[in-house]
Amino acid sequence: MSAAITVDPRDAVPIWRQIEEGMRRLVAVGALAPAAPVPSVRDLARDLGVNPMTVSKAYQRLADTGVLEVRRGEGTFVAGTPPKVGPVERARSMKDAAVRYAGVAMGLGAAEDDATAAVKDAWAALTKRPRGEKR
Amino acid sequence: MSDTGAVLATERLSVRYGSRAALLDVSLRVPPGSVFVLLGRNGAGKSSLVRCALGLQRPDSGRAVLFGADVWRTRAKALARVGVVPEEPDAPPDMTARELASFCRRLYATWDDAGVAARLRRFDIPDDVPFGRLSKGQKGAVMLALCLAPRPELLVLDDPTLGLDAVARRALYDELIGDLADRGTTVFLTTHDLDGVERLATHVAILKDARLVLDEEMEAMKARFRRIRCARPAPGDRAAWTPFVTVSERSREWGLEAVVSNFEEGAFAAFVAQAGLRDVEVGTLSLEEVFVSVAGEGGGVS
Repeated sequence: MSAAITVDPRDAVPIWRQIEEGMRRLVAVGALAPAAPVPSVRDLARDLGVNPMTVSKAYQRLADTGVLEVRRGEGTFVAGTPPKVGPVERARSMKDAAVRYAGVAMGLGAAEDDATAAVKDAWAALTKRPRGEKR
Repeated sequence: MSDTGAVLATERLSVRYGSRAALLDVSLRVPPGSVFVLLGRNGAGKSSLVRCALGLQRPDSGRAVLFGADVWRTRAKALARVGVVPEEPDAPPDMTARELASFCRRLYATWDDAGVAARLRRFDIPDDVPFGRLSKGQKGAVMLALCLAPRPELLVLDDPTLGLDAVARRALYDELIGDLADRGTTVFLTTHDLDGVERLATHVAILKDARLVLDEEMEAMKARFRRIRCARPAPGDRAAWTPFVTVSERSREWGLEAVVSNFEEGAFAAFVAQAGLRDVEVGTLSLEEVFVSVAGEGGGVS
């Protein structure tokens, strides 16, 4: 499952946040089912080639917000009932991200149609079942 | 200055060779559990710092503190808790890895036999080939396996990937990641492989001409450095980057390019509007790019 998360150290977004967002996405699209086990900190750190403390920080935040559940001695799991994002919070986050993306696309001289098509493609790529693919 | 809590620290460390200074007033702290990478061009003072930190060299002034005590005075005791992988792996050339392991285990109070065997297996080290006939990568792997066997609290690696191919480098980092996860070992390393350590390191320090010019958490460093490109201002206008600190600045065919070391999104948006900059492009820097702009020619104190 870790194959579906990627990190880019060149991104301005800190690595732990990239992992946190990737995990949230996998849970949201159902690629990780409720109560399913997630990779251990050690395995995910190794797969991504990052420091385990970085993964641990992401997991900690996901546990704090109820996305993951740490069961002592058993491992880490997706929560039985993952939290829902409220409509206000969702609208705000989406708007922020959209403004950033639109700005980049505009700066590159893209037409509006091309920009929205790229979003559709990205959506399709992300919701495809990750199966056996290596990052 | 008290350094309680730091695994390794230097306090105003200075080393001189004749009239040439190798280290000037260098103070840094390596927190427990960190992966601390020390960077610098050749001759910047890295090796002198590592030698002082291990009690192999006496500083001209200042001191190196290992596990809370002056390492020059407590070297033997302190070094029992440190694993060192040297730049040039060196061991008796006629002994196989297994013979080296059984020789070394007698020198240490704790020794993880199973761990050594497992690591030698993972690294694919042949049982019947003497150390002297192993490849450079295999030698480094044997040294790492031996260094981790006494379960050190601090691991010091001096340019561990020098001369290794991509596969051997990956194996070495995997092994480090595993040890970090299992035991939270503190790691202090120098390297030229900036790409490789970028994801792994939690702290970065840069030496330039014997002085420490950067020392902070990786995340904080990455947050404040940005490359800014923009169209050339009208003739007569000169680009004044205030309120930003420029580490480097150059004129390109298409305009100006600057690296700033105190980027902040809100302040920058206001600055762009007020200065009337056009075609502004802001990009993040990789560790290597930060290193080049800070430690390279023309790079200044950040």
